Amino acid sequence: MCAEEKAMDRTEDMKKDITKDTDGALKSGNTASEQNENGYWRSFKELYNDPSFSKAVKNEFSPEALKAPDVSKMTALNRRRFLALMGAGAAVAAAGCNNYQDKGVIVPYNQKPEEVTLGLPNYYASTCSGCESACGILVKTREGRPIKIDGNPDHPVNKGKLCAKGQAGIMNMYNPERFRDPMLSKTQINWADADKKVVDALKAATAAGKEIAIVTHKIVSPTAKKLFDEFKLAYPTTKVYSYEVFSDTARKNAWMKSYGKPSMPVLQLDKAKVIVALESDFLSTEHNMLEYTRLFTQNRDVMSGREFNRLYAVEGAATVTGMNADYRIRLRTDAIEEFVMCLVVEFAAKKKLSGFPANLSSNTLDHFRTKYALNETAVKNLVADLDKYQGEAIVYAGDKLPESTHIAVNLLNDILGNTKLYSQEIESVDQMPLSAPEELGSLVSAMNSGNAAVVIHYDTNPVYNLSPEYGYADALRKVPLTVTLTEQVTETSELSQYVLPIHNQLECWGDFKTRTGFYSMQQPIIAPLYNTRQKEAIILNWKEPKEFNENLYKDYLSANWEKSMYPATGTAASFKKFWNSALHDGVVYVNEKPEGTAATFNAEAMASTGKVRASNDYVVLLQSNNNVGDGRFASNGWLQELPNPITKLVWDNYAALSVQSAAELGVNTNDIIDISIGNRRQSFPVFIQPGLADKVIEISLGYCRTAAGIVGTGIGVNANVLIAKSPALSDRIYNDAKVSKGSGTYELISTQEHYPIDSDPLLKDIQFRRGIIREGTVEEFKKNPGFLKHESHLEMDPINKPQPYATTEYTGYKWGMSIDLNKCTGCGACVTACNVENNIPIVGKDGVKANREMMWLRIDRYYYGTPDAPSANFQPMLCQHCDYAPCENVCPVAATTHSTDGLNGMTYNRCVGTRYCSNNCPYKVRRFNYFDWRDRFRDSFQYEEPLDQMANPEVTVRSRGVMEKCTFCLQRIMKERQDAIAENRNVEGSNVTTACQDACPAYAIEFGNVNDKGSTVTKYREHPLGYSVLEEIKVMPNVTYIAKLRNINEELHKKESH
Amino acid sequence: MKKYLLDYGIKVRLPIILFAAAASFALTYYITYAERTGIGYQPEQPIAFSHKLHAGDMAIDCQYCHIGVEKSRIASVPAVNVCMGCHSLARTDKPEIQKLTQYYNENRPLPWKRVHRVPDFAYFNHSVHVNKGIVCQDCHGEVQAMDTVANDKYKNIGQVNSFTMGACLDCHRTAHEKFPTLPNLNIGPQNCSACHR
Repeated sequence: MCAEEKAMDRTEDMKKDITKDTDGALKSGNTASEQNENGYWRSFKELYNDPSFSKAVKNEFSPEALKAPDVSKMTALNRRRFLALMGAGAAVAAAGCNNYQDKGVIVPYNQKPEEVTLGLPNYYASTCSGCESACGILVKTREGRPIKIDGNPDHPVNKGKLCAKGQAGIMNMYNPERFRDPMLSKTQINWADADKKVVDALKAATAAGKEIAIVTHKIVSPTAKKLFDEFKLAYPTTKVYSYEVFSDTARKNAWMKSYGKPSMPVLQLDKAKVIVALESDFLSTEHNMLEYTRLFTQNRDVMSGREFNRLYAVEGAATVTGMNADYRIRLRTDAIEEFVMCLVVEFAAKKKLSGFPANLSSNTLDHFRTKYALNETAVKNLVADLDKYQGEAIVYAGDKLPESTHIAVNLLNDILGNTKLYSQEIESVDQMPLSAPEELGSLVSAMNSGNAAVVIHYDTNPVYNLSPEYGYADALRKVPLTVTLTEQVTETSELSQYVLPIHNQLECWGDFKTRTGFYSMQQPIIAPLYNTRQKEAIILNWKEPKEFNENLYKDYLSANWEKSMYPATGTAASFKKFWNSALHDGVVYVNEKPEGTAATFNAEAMASTGKVRASNDYVVLLQSNNNVGDGRFASNGWLQELPNPITKLVWDNYAALSVQSAAELGVNTNDIIDISIGNRRQSFPVFIQPGLADKVIEISLGYCRTAAGIVGTGIGVNANVLIAKSPALSDRIYNDAKVSKGSGTYELISTQEHYPIDSDPLLKDIQFRRGIIREGTVEEFKKNPGFLKHESHLEMDPINKPQPYATTEYTGYKWGMSIDLNKCTGCGACVTACNVENNIPIVGKDGVKANREMMWLRIDRYYYGTPDAPSANFQPMLCQHCDYAPCENVCPVAATTHSTDGLNGMTYNRCVGTRYCSNNCPYKVRRFNYFDWRDRFRDSFQYEEPLDQMANPEVTVRSRGVMEKCTFCLQRIMKERQDAIAENRNVEGSNVTTACQDACPAYAIEFGNVNDKGSTVTKYREHPLGYSVLEEIKVMPNVTYIAKLRNINEELHKKESH
Repeated sequence: MKKYLLDYGIKVRLPIILFAAAASFALTYYITYAERTGIGYQPEQPIAFSHKLHAGDMAIDCQYCHIGVEKSRIASVPAVNVCMGCHSLARTDKPEIQKLTQYYNENRPLPWKRVHRVPDFAYFNHSVHVNKGIVCQDCHGEVQAMDTVANDKYKNIGQVNSFTMGACLDCHRTAHEKFPTLPNLNIGPQNCSACHR
């Protein structure tokens, strides 16, 4: 366990204050469901009416939040404060000599770039290189500074959307801890010396016939591929190794074995009427999540009139995809292959197919179902639907499932004719296959034996990422010359002699190709901040050493394009014109078709599948996450603080266990368990997660980096040490784990009970009847679209109650938002977009623990049902901009007031911090600055240069002691007003988009003028499924939620008896 | 005796002291108000630029230099290359122009002293005002006439209006009386979020 022991001791004390999350759960498995049979719940504390939860509900500001600050924990008289005091003293002294009217200076450009108009943003298309998905991005810059990254609408895959990691990636560029100069053994050197030493070593290695190893992540750039090929020609002993912690190699290999084609066609998920996700989180943490979310949710749109698709999830973990499924089947992960084989046998029999080996499955589906106590209705529906929708359904296996399972799934899809859903037009393109574990093994032995003379880490961190069984770190110490190209410190750079700083993605040139039919272009958005070089340029410069200049790789790239890609596009424009427009658009379309379509299923592949059987031990799933990826985003505080969509935990990873398994082990949330797989062992804090399959342990990878700067170092527990070099199933599934209760506890911090809405103790339990979450089934909706409106589930009958306030007429435009809960998957992209747009500070784990997180937009997650098999509802909650806003009535200084266009405004310079408004807010969406978080978090990290330059200049950076909340992106509304006045037209609601709306990959959020009857937002607001949260209190909120429809055959849980 | 003294203190001395204090405060407050809000502030500029000469005598349009004013919320002080557009040829013999050329050639920042300033928490927008037909002089005064007497040639521009929230609201509330020649003008927004965000 790598989190500090001290921290554990501290948490011992803290734990006394914290109620045991699941005491009730362990003792009274059954009574639980009785108590809240009909209700939604957010945590075990709420489900079992734990007194601490009702206390939390009662006290908006937790005792923790109101505790006087502990002086010893403050950054006290740190350097910054000392300097500030000194400076203030000097200023006071100097004030006498100065003109008190002095207003400073205005320094204009000496030569203003033509495209810059002060105060107006410029947008540049580029490509995100945060992961190998290579999504198109559109970067907003102000006066040359990038301030926001959004998706590029012209990009055919992500279509203007971007995930949380991509959005928050802007902080990586401004990270004050980036390397600024080349280093040799931690002392600064200059580039010329570094280049000379490395080139000499490369030449010597070639002459001696010793290996030169380049270790890279997946190569997605055709020009970089060419560069490596040429580098290999210049230094023939070079070998290029590539690895990814989260790869879909198993799926691709299985495709190769099943159909004899190395490249996979693209799945057209929008054409699927039925989707069966097997241990797959395609809606959140897996590859291509943006496209899949769009394709999945566009068939769950109540406006479009399209038939709803149906999602089945068969999983051991509790993923976003599973929680969004219409039917969720809990099944331990290592039994999934058998389940698929049972389905294969079932359908082979149904369709009277021959040629299947008799021993394909040892079980029939019925036996299997009883053996694993699967939900009978769900399985029956699944079989019926797969049968009914042959050729219109898809069974989709998760990235981490073993190759044999993917082959079984291919077989099942083939039998059912579902391969039709694979595109004939577009297929994925791999520049270079990832290295097999054996290849990496041979690299390590070459390093150990002295055969490898030079190892170059090409923006990779194998010391941290690779299984400890490789012994990579020890081997690296034996290599005569080790070079790491990196932006920030990593475990690998710590062990390397030469650490060469590289450009951030926003300073780079590049091209990317992930699929047939188009290229995605990358161009620098800002000139390099430091004495860094683009990583491709470094390699290029070593290939043929000459004097370096910044345009080296740019020239190489455009020359390659002029020679290879430009002629293929068949455009009539000159290359220069073509090149400029390619960079402008960020995407280049080419006319190319996949070579040959998928042939028939290769029957031989069947031999290698169906062998996996469930063990009796624990299954450990090593998960990908929305936060730190494989660890490369560990130093990004925004991502560390983004609550996990399901558990709502922040700043940590943990071992998630089902209620049953936790009881078996005798552990509770925050206890420690020791996990050993073979001779690999690690201890983790426990989090009891409803909905997990029994004997399944879910752990996120990418945590506990030991060298990731001031923000990322030592956060969570390192689960990479559990990865095996040659795993039996797959590198992320282990079904031979031995688990025992460990000693000590560790405090995990979850936001799930923060800011609970239903805060009046007199109305205890009524919260479930208040219709905060409303849902129904597609059937019900078809029969009676207004079924939710007529449901009298509100005790206080809001509709007929008179309006307590005088009504105000909103003539002109009025702003409103609609959020379609059918589409929202809970992924968290909107939260991050809001953080970036509105200068939300990071508060750190301590801050979140004290309920002091500052995020304006939160996603409430409500469970429904039993702790064993809950379903979840996600509800983005933000300031509702009520027409009769209760916060405004209680502000003693009129700092929060209403505008004529229906906005609830917040004037920071008036606010004196009474927090009355927050107390009176029914939705609990106001956030108070208990500190200047920029100063307090990690010793003023957020005030370091150049991170202080990242802020959006159109939004005030709030100081200590003021209240803040969602403004409906007022700065964007004002920009539209400015444009409207300049163009002498009316303000057009559809021209304004909020940051969360721009980011939402599911298009769940609509924003606009609600007085415009033709606008999309009005249509959603007037939809029969539209409702406002807590509408009975008649504050007339301006955010409308569209009730969720579940596409199930049965009746949804009966809401209330009355 | 004692009682009398106490009485005198309360009845006579205290009111006099209070009055004197209040009166001197009020007097100082009103006398210095204009100065405190910056009216008449005329800092010495690094280059003796004359608005009277350029905008007045030569009648160069304000937007020839302040190009952002109708596109953006920032009017923008012209980049040095805008000056050099003329002054690479015009009046190159003048010492002030030589100073300017030096800044330009050495690519040194030219630190103009700031005259008008709205606090950072108020997002004043030039373009919405200018595009509604309100001219620069309405807020900034007769800038084109702002040159000064010969013996004070470095002080050629000053602030004429107070840039306080009261001054903003004064116009926003009475837009029609203030600008009778602009019939299409709406009353300016008076809600907080018009300026504060």
